[in-house]
Amino acid sequence: MEITSLLNILIFPGIIFLLALAFFYEWVDRKTFARFQNRYGPLHTGIHGVLQPIADFFKLLAKEDITPSASDKLTFLLAPIFYFALPLATMFLVPISSQTSLIAFEGDLIFVIFAFTMMIITVFLAGWSSVNRFSTIGSMRAILQMIGYEIPMVLVMASPAMAAKSLSISRIVEWQSLHLWLVLLQPIGFAILLVCLLAELQVVPFDAPEAETEIVAGWKTEFSGRKLALFQLGRDLKLVLASALITSLYLGGAHSLLLIPPIIIFLAKTALTVVLLSFLRAAFARFRIDQVVSGIWKYLLPLATLQVILIQFGFGR
Amino acid sequence: MAYGSTIKIPFGPQHPALKEPTNFLFEVDGEVVVDVKPRLGYNHRGVEKAFEYRTYVQNIYLAERICGICSDAHTTNYTQAIEELLDLDVPMRAKYIRVIIAELERIHSHALWVGMAAHEIGFDTLFMYIWRDRETVLDLFEMISGNRIHYAMNTIGGVRRDISEVMVTEIMKGLDFLEKRLEYYTEVVKTDKTISRRTSYIGVLKPEDAVDLCAVGPTLRASGIANDVRMDDPYAVYDEIPFTIVTHESCDVLGRVIVRCEEMLESGKIIRYALKNMPEGEIRVKAPTAVPQGEVVSRVEAPRGELIHYVKSNGTGKPHRYKVRSPTLANIPALCKMLLGGYVADIPIVLAGIDPCFSCMDRMVFVDVRTNEKKIWTMQQLRGKEIRN
Repeated sequence: MEITSLLNILIFPGIIFLLALAFFYEWVDRKTFARFQNRYGPLHTGIHGVLQPIADFFKLLAKEDITPSASDKLTFLLAPIFYFALPLATMFLVPISSQTSLIAFEGDLIFVIFAFTMMIITVFLAGWSSVNRFSTIGSMRAILQMIGYEIPMVLVMASPAMAAKSLSISRIVEWQSLHLWLVLLQPIGFAILLVCLLAELQVVPFDAPEAETEIVAGWKTEFSGRKLALFQLGRDLKLVLASALITSLYLGGAHSLLLIPPIIIFLAKTALTVVLLSFLRAAFARFRIDQVVSGIWKYLLPLATLQVILIQFGFGR
Repeated sequence: MAYGSTIKIPFGPQHPALKEPTNFLFEVDGEVVVDVKPRLGYNHRGVEKAFEYRTYVQNIYLAERICGICSDAHTTNYTQAIEELLDLDVPMRAKYIRVIIAELERIHSHALWVGMAAHEIGFDTLFMYIWRDRETVLDLFEMISGNRIHYAMNTIGGVRRDISEVMVTEIMKGLDFLEKRLEYYTEVVKTDKTISRRTSYIGVLKPEDAVDLCAVGPTLRASGIANDVRMDDPYAVYDEIPFTIVTHESCDVLGRVIVRCEEMLESGKIIRYALKNMPEGEIRVKAPTAVPQGEVVSRVEAPRGELIHYVKSNGTGKPHRYKVRSPTLANIPALCKMLLGGYVADIPIVLAGIDPCFSCMDRMVFVDVRTNEKKIWTMQQLRGKEIRN
């Protein structure tokens, strides 16, 4: 029993599986994004370039790792590790291969929300510790953006919990397998969560914190080599986490359909979400940071509140 | 406004928003720009001086290399100036071919710019699409001249290559495709919410300021002033071709995008008309190598605006003095005006809004960094330092 749970955490559906999935979804994202732009995308490494993200990762590992002399050394070292570890640890709370997740307890949804906030704080520390003009601006923008999207995101992550009357992601998945998918019951919440996760992932139209043409690479300007590799991997894991959360909270999560095992269902749904996210990424221009914050407070927050009120009145549960 | 609380931010010469090196010193109050100081000259190449060492024929190729994008505008201008000195009569067919090449170049330059502007505001999808379609123009150039960017079409006394019947049908086919796509992009630019959020009311240049600060080209026309060398001082055969000057009243970056999009469509019409009405005949006349004494100012509407070339001849085989005033230089004062009062995040798109081409523009000025004293060398001082070859 001990051995099985250890293997579960280490191999499937634990660390090894999640890392492989992260690389694979980066490829899916890059490929679909490229196809939406009428480009080829990764092509040469592996079949249709599927190994390109892994090749990029190892290439970065081999590159020189520069620490600016003015930087806050310890924070500068720890930020990439936290940025990579946080989404990986959070993925243990999301059901992947069965209806219950690896670690499930009443209130794990709260932990996920906490982890999302911690990720942004890591971003802030990363930018702040590197003592660079562009990094500082980037990290300030990341924090500003979080002030915008965090509240609506928490509201629409809580609304499935209100419907299922449980703060456990596994229970929400279970509830959906007995009732309808929540995307049909709470479409507003689904749309808002998609938008907020785009902001959380810091992609177009919400990529002001790392806007290439304005502030180089934003908060990660000073990072190179192994540290940058960890940031890239952390971003991929965040993509997996985001798609897994949408799947679990709104698309019915990992439950078996007819004879198809839950893992296949889970992979299909998350892959679809990744494609949806890259489509949204391809369809917009970047918003200015003040437009992001004011737009979210003007439109998303009232809509998210409306969603919660609707549930209180018995719609969507 | 309290100036005590401002921060000075240097922008460039190395900056992700700049494709070529130049430097601006911004004084910002929070997020708002309160003062701009441009500092040019990071990419000075000594082109004007080089003109004096080359024969008139060699200078055609030098003129072509002043700019990588509007190479044809520079050679047209150069050959026009020399032809006026020589009192040469260029054949009509050559003039028509010059117009066709110039307008194709306008399409390719504006398409390149719209893509760059889309990239500046983070809309990479539009950037990829419009650059893909821009390939059509480059392929046409390759078919006509053998080159994609430096076509080397102009020569003193006409053009070097003819446009055959087969090429005419190919160009027509290319235009059919391009016009359909460009109409679509114009529609996208006018209707897309995210584009208008990042570009309307940004980098405002009022019509009176545009005139006062001598803005040129699409920047001026986007402030609602119909000014175009092709119409005001027709060269080649622009006086025979019916076309309208595209203007826009919004005075902001969005206006500049729309003006350029519609100008591309207008260029398509000009090319069609020129292809249909191109007379038969010679494409060049023989020109003498020595040029009589005199001086000439020649003007051309380059894609970026009014381009001025000045040549002074001393009767030998080489020019005595050559001067190029590129449109980017004319737009710098207007650019500084646009940036004032704007947000820091809008600097890249406003800067890109004038379609800057800094390497065409840079002229030499000496600055003593310790005393901040500036001086410009006279011709005699330059002569004293020249490398004799």
